[in-house]
Amino acid sequence: MMQTSRSRTFAVAAGVSGLVGAAVLWTGIWMAQPAGAVVTGRVGERLIYPSPLEMIRSGDGKQLFVLCNESDEVRVIDASTGAAVKTISVGHVPRGFALSPDGNRLFVTNSWDDTLSVIDTASLQVIATWRVGSEPSSVVEDRAGRTLFVANRISNDVAVLNAQTGAEIKRLAAGRGASYMALAPDGGKLYVTHVYPNPSPHRTEPESEITVIDAQRAVVIDRMQLHGIAGVFHVAISADGRLGAAAELHPKNLVPLAHLEHGGAFEDTLMLFGADVGNQTVEVPLDELERYVARPFGVVIAPDKSRLYITSGGSELVTVIDVPRLLRCVHLHHAPFVQDLSASANYVVTRIQVGRDPRGMLLSRDGRTLMVANRLDDTISVIDTQNDRVRSTIRLASPAKLSVLRYGEQTFYTARYSFQGQIGCANCHIDSTFDGLEWDLEPDGFGRDIVDNRLIEDLKGTEPFKWNGGNPNLPTECGPRTEKYFWRSANYDDLTLADLVTYMLSLPPRPNRWRLPGYELTSAQARGKAIFERTVDKFHNPIPLQNRCSYCHSGPKGTDQKSFDVGTKRPTDNSGLLDTPQLTNVALTAPYLHDGSAATVEQIWTVFNPEDKHGRTNDLTKDELNDLVEYLRTR
Amino acid sequence: MRRLRVCVVFLQFAAVLLFAAAQPSAPGNYIGADVIVTAAPAYVPLAELRGQERFPKGAHLLRIHEGKAEPLVPEFAASADANVSFDGSRVIFSGKQKQEDFWQIWELTIKDRSLHKVVTTAGDAERPLYLPAGRVVYALRTSAGFRLDSNDDGHPLSYVPLNPTTGPGELTLAYTRGSAFPDDVLQDGRVLFESDFPLGDGRTAEMFLVYPDGSGVESYRCDHGLARWGGTQLTSSDVVFTHGAGIARFTSPLAHEVRVPAPPAQYAGSVAETSSGDWLLSTRTAQGAHYALKLWKPGVSTMETVFAQSAADLVEPVLLAPHRMPTRFPSGLHPWNYANLLALDARLSREGALPGMPTLVRLETQDEAGKAVTMGTAPVEKDGSFFIQVPGDKPIRIALLDAKGNVLRQEHGWFWSRGGEQRICVGCHTGPERSSDNHVPEVLLHSTTPVDLTAVRSMDLAHRAATGGR
Repeated sequence: MMQTSRSRTFAVAAGVSGLVGAAVLWTGIWMAQPAGAVVTGRVGERLIYPSPLEMIRSGDGKQLFVLCNESDEVRVIDASTGAAVKTISVGHVPRGFALSPDGNRLFVTNSWDDTLSVIDTASLQVIATWRVGSEPSSVVEDRAGRTLFVANRISNDVAVLNAQTGAEIKRLAAGRGASYMALAPDGGKLYVTHVYPNPSPHRTEPESEITVIDAQRAVVIDRMQLHGIAGVFHVAISADGRLGAAAELHPKNLVPLAHLEHGGAFEDTLMLFGADVGNQTVEVPLDELERYVARPFGVVIAPDKSRLYITSGGSELVTVIDVPRLLRCVHLHHAPFVQDLSASANYVVTRIQVGRDPRGMLLSRDGRTLMVANRLDDTISVIDTQNDRVRSTIRLASPAKLSVLRYGEQTFYTARYSFQGQIGCANCHIDSTFDGLEWDLEPDGFGRDIVDNRLIEDLKGTEPFKWNGGNPNLPTECGPRTEKYFWRSANYDDLTLADLVTYMLSLPPRPNRWRLPGYELTSAQARGKAIFERTVDKFHNPIPLQNRCSYCHSGPKGTDQKSFDVGTKRPTDNSGLLDTPQLTNVALTAPYLHDGSAATVEQIWTVFNPEDKHGRTNDLTKDELNDLVEYLRTR
Repeated sequence: MRRLRVCVVFLQFAAVLLFAAAQPSAPGNYIGADVIVTAAPAYVPLAELRGQERFPKGAHLLRIHEGKAEPLVPEFAASADANVSFDGSRVIFSGKQKQEDFWQIWELTIKDRSLHKVVTTAGDAERPLYLPAGRVVYALRTSAGFRLDSNDDGHPLSYVPLNPTTGPGELTLAYTRGSAFPDDVLQDGRVLFESDFPLGDGRTAEMFLVYPDGSGVESYRCDHGLARWGGTQLTSSDVVFTHGAGIARFTSPLAHEVRVPAPPAQYAGSVAETSSGDWLLSTRTAQGAHYALKLWKPGVSTMETVFAQSAADLVEPVLLAPHRMPTRFPSGLHPWNYANLLALDARLSREGALPGMPTLVRLETQDEAGKAVTMGTAPVEKDGSFFIQVPGDKPIRIALLDAKGNVLRQEHGWFWSRGGEQRICVGCHTGPERSSDNHVPEVLLHSTTPVDLTAVRSMDLAHRAATGGR
């Protein structure tokens, strides 16, 4: 049995109570009811909401393009009236887009299709669809209009394409989870950020990077190391090119999560770089002592570099920073001050409440108007930057009813339930996935039962949860135990919990990039499958039932939903009995084993399986293990 | 003699009430709600921290409606400390049915004027505040001063609380010697209380925080100085309090207090914020004068008198209106009589660098007489981390020692950990603004079992150090 991403903790924990029972019962009742029958007003239909994620103004400034993440569209809006002009269908789960320098083409990355839609901005038609890397998340064209750069989240690289033909020229290795990019105003350097940390030794601080690419030569020229950072999101460069800023999460995953006060789980920070800060990276805090800006995401810098704006998805805020004051504070501090929660008072001007899960922003050319895409209420907040107030709110056409799934998603992405609004589910499950980190949770004992976070897609039929199998179902996982040991504050009511669980159970597996069409296997994958299913070892000795890969990792999701001792118990573990995790998209979820101690799938057998308790593997050659890995990647 | 004193107090009260009825002052209807205030012939600020009577000549709650005051509970011999339920329908208060009674916690339902006793105690119980989830917090007078306690509010919830510490019955929230007196319940669910600084050992009023299960006690801010007391949280989340003679505030962005530029006066804490954002304050012009109710719009240089009495102090104003319920805190205490305390880096402190490298941490508690008792020592790792098991629900303090056993730094006061609490300290007195570094504390790399300091031992320090204390 393999303990892939074992934790099963989702930033939500385990437990049993009457509340949970009620939630489970209610879920069952609710699922059986006809749509619209629920007293909450939330409907059971699967409704499609636009979910605005990013915005771009057309070359002439007359139109606003809104990237709609859930409805797979680009909405075109009249920039002066807010009226809808046209809706353009694109690929599945579009995540990023960019306008060509001449304004004639709009490029859209379709993250689940691994394609790029090319839209003609005159006809507002998709004129081409090009294949790119795995999970393309953002795109930038160089100033000359010759080259396109596409950040691929799963293949951890930046694809370099011919901007006219879409032909891929090469791939540049980036960090893990390459997702967002910003081109310097002079077109010289391209900065790439990553939503997952790079691999690092077990139980050490996460490391991320900003990959710097020479946009003319299309080569990587620098990797700015971001020490202690797990997830980096939007990055912005000032108009004079002297200041860069990236929104990021600074986790405290190595410290027991005993309480949340004083930034006990995460700090929300900004990474500065560039000549204005001495060509080094300087991390600055965005939080306050009792108020947090959970999940910073979008960053824009005013054209005159007077202000810097950051969205916080969990807190539903835009933080406004006075850049000269920020730089003065940076220069006055000779030592890092990211742990000082009072530092932000030196440069934060105000915080503006906007809609649910605010993401990308768009600043007018004169810097007087800031638009904010509120993903989970289908609105765009229009902020007057002269007085830092929301001047108006544009409502995108969307279903009038609030569905259970949508409400569950809103609950998943908000931080409002946690103590002082510090964290939400999406802190550790970035874009409803995982965070690549191991956590030390308080109820198991300080330093004990270290748990690796896991992917939460395709959960139905994989119960129980938590790596020790302690939580029989999601209401238990996400209910009272979560409020006690994660939120440290009053949790959801029963109906909200039920909706959250419904949302989580609805998360589909993302497309498997290693599986051939028609479920055919490559020869290596087929050999690996044979090893996975074998009943005798290479010496013709029968393999005991429980020592066969396919015994524990059985069924369509690769789990028999039972617990076994596979010899991976650590001195700090309270039990060696481990629940069999599912294998869904196992290739994406490093590190492995329940505590994240295996950096790769192969290490599970070569380092952590000396006695063949975790399946009979010690008779296999390196090539055969590679075949097994190839097969597992198709799961 | 006692009867005589009671008669005198009664007559004084009668005078206060007659005066109130006869001389309503400035109309209060622009406040937007009725005001309930404690009227007392004499109010002694900070007497509570000495364990003494704040209202030595008695007190009565007045309800001020459109500028006219009426006794809120005329059937009581004394009443004070009103706190309004979150839905605005009930008022909890300290009351004495008969003059010779102890102060007890009572509740008045506004609609039908029904009264019931919420908590029965063997001594004075004062200053009740509603908590979410059917609980109240109040101060219980003991021989050592006022003790912070919690109990049911008489309206049990239909669901089972998640932890017995927030379940039915009395729960002590503060475990140091000296007085602890509740000021407010913050929106994040914590109880704001006043005590002396250093906690359990000082003489300067200061404000502290504790969760409603008694865990997580800490100073609100660490820029200690002049006496701070009578804190109230505003809708902005700022906490306003009396500082010396003036008023000041704590605000989320700052690690230090900010003086409030209010008109010169002596303030009695406990601000009530009106729906328009004005503040209702108790002020007096000089020592010996009586506190009156004033309305102040922050930023304006003058205050307007809302209500005044020539023979009484008017303090602790509250609005009889619905208000936001704080967040319920779900207690996560384990069923233990001890607590685990992990310091991430004991070298960190607002007080600057240590004069040497700490190698041991010494734990002390207090015996019944208040005398310090050493519980033992544990090693401090090179990164400044230590992990100790301490007795729960007892005053404790720590000292950092060098290899020779010299004290490098010692806590000024005492604190406590609840039984079943697992607590992490970023440093030793680092202040609430200091977030932790993110690394595995060295002590946890060596062992995940804390050094047991729950019982007095005479283990030789050198031996303990040589064996690693584990």
